[in-house]
Amino acid sequence: MARIGVDVGGTFTDLVLEKGPRDVYVHKVPSTPEDQSIGVVRGIREICEIGKVRPKDVDLIVHGTTVATNITLEHNGSEVGMLTSRGFRDILHIARHKRPFNFSLQFDAPWQSLPLVKRRNRISISERVMPPTGEIETPLNEQEVRDACKLFAERGVEAVIICFMFSFLNPKNELAAKKIVQKELPNVFLSTSCEVIDVIREYERFSTTAMNAYVGPKTSTYIRNLDKMLKADGISAELRIMQSNGGVATVDMASERPVTILMSGPAGGVIGGRWAGGLSKEKNLITVDIGGTSADISTIPNGEIRIMNPRDTYVGDYPVLAPMIDLTTIGAGGGSIAFIDQGGAFRVGPKSAGADPGPACYSRGGTEPTVTDAQVALGRLDVDKFLGGDMTIDPELSVKVIADRIAKPLGMSVKDAALGIIKVINSNMALAIRSNSVARGFDPRKFALMPFGGAGPLHGVALAKEVSAKEVIVPPAPGINAAIGLLETDMQYEFTRSAPLILAGATTKDFERINTALGKLEKLCRERLSADGIAKSKQKLTRIAECRYHGQGFELRADLPVGKLSAKNKDVVIDNFHKQHQLDYGYTFGSDQVEIMTLRVIGIASVEPLTWPKLKKAPAGAAKTKALKAAFMYSRKTTFDDGKTVETPRYDRGMLMAGHEISGPAIILQHNSTTLIPPGYRARVSDFGNIHIKNV
Amino acid sequence: MARKTTAKSSKTGAARKAPRATAKRSAKSATKRTPARAAKRPAKKATTAKGKKIKVDPITLQVIGGALHTAAREMGHVLYRMSFSSIIRESEDLGAGLFDADYQTLSESDSTPLHIGSIPGYLRGMAKTLEDGEWCEDDVVIHNHPYYGASHSPDIAVAIPIFWEGKLVGFSANTAHHIDIGAATPGLIIDIPDVFAEGMLFAGIKLYKKGVRNEGLWHFLQYNSRTAKMLMDDIEAQVASARLGVERYKDLIRQYGYDTFKAACDELMDYTERMMRQEIRKIPNGTYRADGWMDDDGRNRGVRLPIKVAVTIKDDSVSVDLTGSSDQVPTGFNVPFDGSTKVAVYCAFRSLLLDQALAEVYIPSNEGSFRPIEIIAPLGSIFNPKFPAAAEARFTQCNRVIDCILKALAPVIPTKVIAGSSASLSFISYAGLKPSGDYWVFLEVNEGSYGARATKDGPDSIDNLMCNTRNNPLEDLGMHLPMVCDRYELRDDVMPGAGRMRGGIGVVKSQRVLTAGVITHENDRHTDVPWGAFGGHEGAVGKVLRYNTERPDSIEEMPAKVSGIGIDANDVISFYGPCGGGYGDPLERPAEQVLDDVLDDFCTIDHANKAYGVVVSKNLKLDVKATDKRRAQMRRTSKIAAA
Repeated sequence: MARIGVDVGGTFTDLVLEKGPRDVYVHKVPSTPEDQSIGVVRGIREICEIGKVRPKDVDLIVHGTTVATNITLEHNGSEVGMLTSRGFRDILHIARHKRPFNFSLQFDAPWQSLPLVKRRNRISISERVMPPTGEIETPLNEQEVRDACKLFAERGVEAVIICFMFSFLNPKNELAAKKIVQKELPNVFLSTSCEVIDVIREYERFSTTAMNAYVGPKTSTYIRNLDKMLKADGISAELRIMQSNGGVATVDMASERPVTILMSGPAGGVIGGRWAGGLSKEKNLITVDIGGTSADISTIPNGEIRIMNPRDTYVGDYPVLAPMIDLTTIGAGGGSIAFIDQGGAFRVGPKSAGADPGPACYSRGGTEPTVTDAQVALGRLDVDKFLGGDMTIDPELSVKVIADRIAKPLGMSVKDAALGIIKVINSNMALAIRSNSVARGFDPRKFALMPFGGAGPLHGVALAKEVSAKEVIVPPAPGINAAIGLLETDMQYEFTRSAPLILAGATTKDFERINTALGKLEKLCRERLSADGIAKSKQKLTRIAECRYHGQGFELRADLPVGKLSAKNKDVVIDNFHKQHQLDYGYTFGSDQVEIMTLRVIGIASVEPLTWPKLKKAPAGAAKTKALKAAFMYSRKTTFDDGKTVETPRYDRGMLMAGHEISGPAIILQHNSTTLIPPGYRARVSDFGNIHIKNV
Repeated sequence: MARKTTAKSSKTGAARKAPRATAKRSAKSATKRTPARAAKRPAKKATTAKGKKIKVDPITLQVIGGALHTAAREMGHVLYRMSFSSIIRESEDLGAGLFDADYQTLSESDSTPLHIGSIPGYLRGMAKTLEDGEWCEDDVVIHNHPYYGASHSPDIAVAIPIFWEGKLVGFSANTAHHIDIGAATPGLIIDIPDVFAEGMLFAGIKLYKKGVRNEGLWHFLQYNSRTAKMLMDDIEAQVASARLGVERYKDLIRQYGYDTFKAACDELMDYTERMMRQEIRKIPNGTYRADGWMDDDGRNRGVRLPIKVAVTIKDDSVSVDLTGSSDQVPTGFNVPFDGSTKVAVYCAFRSLLLDQALAEVYIPSNEGSFRPIEIIAPLGSIFNPKFPAAAEARFTQCNRVIDCILKALAPVIPTKVIAGSSASLSFISYAGLKPSGDYWVFLEVNEGSYGARATKDGPDSIDNLMCNTRNNPLEDLGMHLPMVCDRYELRDDVMPGAGRMRGGIGVVKSQRVLTAGVITHENDRHTDVPWGAFGGHEGAVGKVLRYNTERPDSIEEMPAKVSGIGIDANDVISFYGPCGGGYGDPLERPAEQVLDDVLDDFCTIDHANKAYGVVVSKNLKLDVKATDKRRAQMRRTSKIAAA
């Protein structure tokens, strides 16, 4: 069974091909930002040639894409029309009526200046559902819906959303309006709020639905088009798209609910991190994916990828309540610019030199010192081995910009200035790691830190030290870890239903209501998985009650007990919720107040794990040393964080064998990634090629 | 200078002895400062044991600054995520931060501005009234006394002194607005005789003494609020938040050593102070004045209250003199000086001169930004009332001070100021009895709108100036309380101030109660219109209507402030927020942009014609020729008028 993972980044499209057990190939082609599918198809064709696989023999292609994300960043989504309840035309305009800054007069409110749906296309419709029962006080005015459709047709809207107040209590009016729109405007991209995300809180539900429609037409066109191109190329493999929650979706599913793939890109990296941890049987991991402009951080306790509380999920300034991996992203990467601000403070990032002009040493006209320039000036990046020798860089330029911009104004040496740049950027990243781990109740001392992305392994040890992680694990292929993650991704579908219930006083009838709702959600999950050809025996369902203490505004997740919920086992839910509350906030309130708000069922079908070839074992005794000598390339002067400059050996990662140990100072080189082992640390190569680095 | 009676609460309140030696072993510093003047001076710098000043390298400084900010944000996060009342959990009417032993702000959560600037005042007030007279390790103190530094009584502060090696080294503290502290009327209050009608007053009292829970106090709380359980649970959330701050603070000291940490804190404050002074220096020296009116004090209808602001720039310092503003009023419509008046002025200058949206870098929010600013308000005036005047309903006045500061400085920094905003607050409490006999209370902050800016329109229906809460989701409201919202959208009965940039549009929110209840509304700006800047037109005043869905045609216009009035089942209270003023000549607004506004119903066809000289046909097409003609004619007319 041949499988391909293809991950599109800003500069490169990374590919992994698994031809059979322990028979794995990797490849990179330049990304094609104007149309990502060109690079994707080319990459797939080329990796098939490299692996000597006939295109028709590829069974599965998993794709991580930034198409939807880029629409939100560039704000070039579709013209959307909205039908909403009379009296509530401006829910999307008012948002939560909070400013983005406390102290600002010149701020921008993007939901008003760059709305997902223009006010002219937000049409009020007479209809009303009443709380708390969901009774219909005013039935849908069908003629108003038809009139609105006529207007939308004249204006050429490409997508229509239907967002009515309290539709989470009763979807009848929304679904009735949907039928009419389907008939009147058969070709628009159509979403209802109760189908996109069936939860309480009107602004967040409407915003999520609007985002779905905003990115919908372009994203679904892209996905369907890519599917066609692949078929035309003789590749009959199933195409699957990575979702923000770390599961994959079919072409149809991702096309209908593209709001679920907004974080498709970084999700692959986290899963790749878990996979690489698994090669060393390490389940507690903090993954740090460092690219050119940003770093994505995620904490994986006990092998479980964590999903953000859906009330905290934003894309840009717009709330999007789609399940997303709990990632913390900060503007810190190789391209981050160091500067001295007006008040004389030393700053690094979040401004980045990006890929163009890039760091000063790229000789493409960059005039500001970046983190990469600091690494070059400290002798940590070898000029002739940059990107495996594919690119030459000019260290003189790095030294010059650091001297001019930082060292001279602050009266320090170039070396100290470069060390300062590294220290500040590491500190910023460490704070972000803490906010994703310590602030979530996880103690980094019990976790291994896994750095990847091209620049990750240069920072790994320093970050681990700063957050007190127990060790560093550098995965076998840090540069393409995200693509590997794509092949490790389960089929995963999630469905939710709003179902408020205070557990303490719940009656048999209440439990019946909950069990019926759960049954429906389970059925939906199974239908999706079966449609993907997953045998029932391989379908795994996780059932979650999102709870809070009655009166709180935020829910936390509690696992539901197996079987039907009843008066007998309701305490299991209550206890699970208390535990989560204690973990998050360090405090619990009384059991009588525990209230279920939302039911969530996640249907998962595990894929076969990617099998990575084992490394050859290093021979024993003197032969071991000899084999290590074979991996030795040369040595050069390198400056470490303690300020000492020492002659430092370089090793070729491709020549290292399982069981090899290297004491710092040392640098391990591989194509597009450099692992730094400072003095006082020792690296050990594991059976599958992970490099473990620990304080001696 | 007798007029400069600023914040001598010891003269106004009942005299109390200052706390004794602060902690087990030393920490004298905490006793040294009394809030005699509003202008800040830097505290003494960190030195080593031998008295040598420590210099912290810029890198460590950046690291400690980032950690302090992250800690404050985490504290705010725990507080609103854990709490129960919607004013905290949904509206995020709270603040949290870390402070040094001299009560100076080291870092703040990114919550609502009035809270986070006010905590130093609370800490000083606690120090003056402290139970047992001393701070002890693992004490947890609560405080809300408006004559001892509190912002106003419903904002209860929880503070924990932080000790390191037996010495008091700082504070972790937060404040949150509680929905009921047992005042004269449920939720909010306006027309009351004195501060004692505001409800429970806590002055430096300990929830925990040396880590031991003061059960008597908790027992007392249980019987003194209409929503006692919620009050107590939310205070628990405040304690959890403050304890987190203590841990973070100690972690930093452990990591860097106390001397380095202290030196870094001092330098971070100096840095922010430098940034602020640098910006003040760019404004020409001189005194600049502006004034406005408040509608009334909530009891004496039709008696307007003047607000007068004189801003004096002297090199890199500024003083704001509120002399000439109204005398204190007999209701609760007064402003506590330390906890609110000063904070409003700080907020004005931080927003104006250290604008977070424009800053390329994060400037730490700390004491440094307060130091260059002096505030003067005569004792006995509305901005510095004498004990025991009530002073709970104070927000609207604060926002007007900010608006007037901007107006005063408009001639000298025209591109930094903005046109007149709503600059008030609509804070409304709905309450009633449940069938069980218990109270339900709901507090709602209604949004305002912004004046237009030099390069941007004023944002619509958004919290204004010193207010920055989140609205309560209407669906959440409908599920919990006997209330339902009938309308929540932009106003269409008036137009915002026209201009090259238009003013923000106010909101209309119609809330219906399903069972009989009682409301109190703290509001203003029903008579004094937001000003237009540099040729921009003025905005529109707000209003409040009341009607019953059974009798929708008998509509009553309500005063801006009402206190504890009864409402019937199916009564609807419709709040109409003020609209901001315009900026620049409306005739300079591109006609296409006006057409866009018409298409989006931000502007009527008639208003486009009258205010902008833009002619839009009934089928929504721009008539370019007619527009040119009309605009030319309007320019001639205005020239003649000017002549």
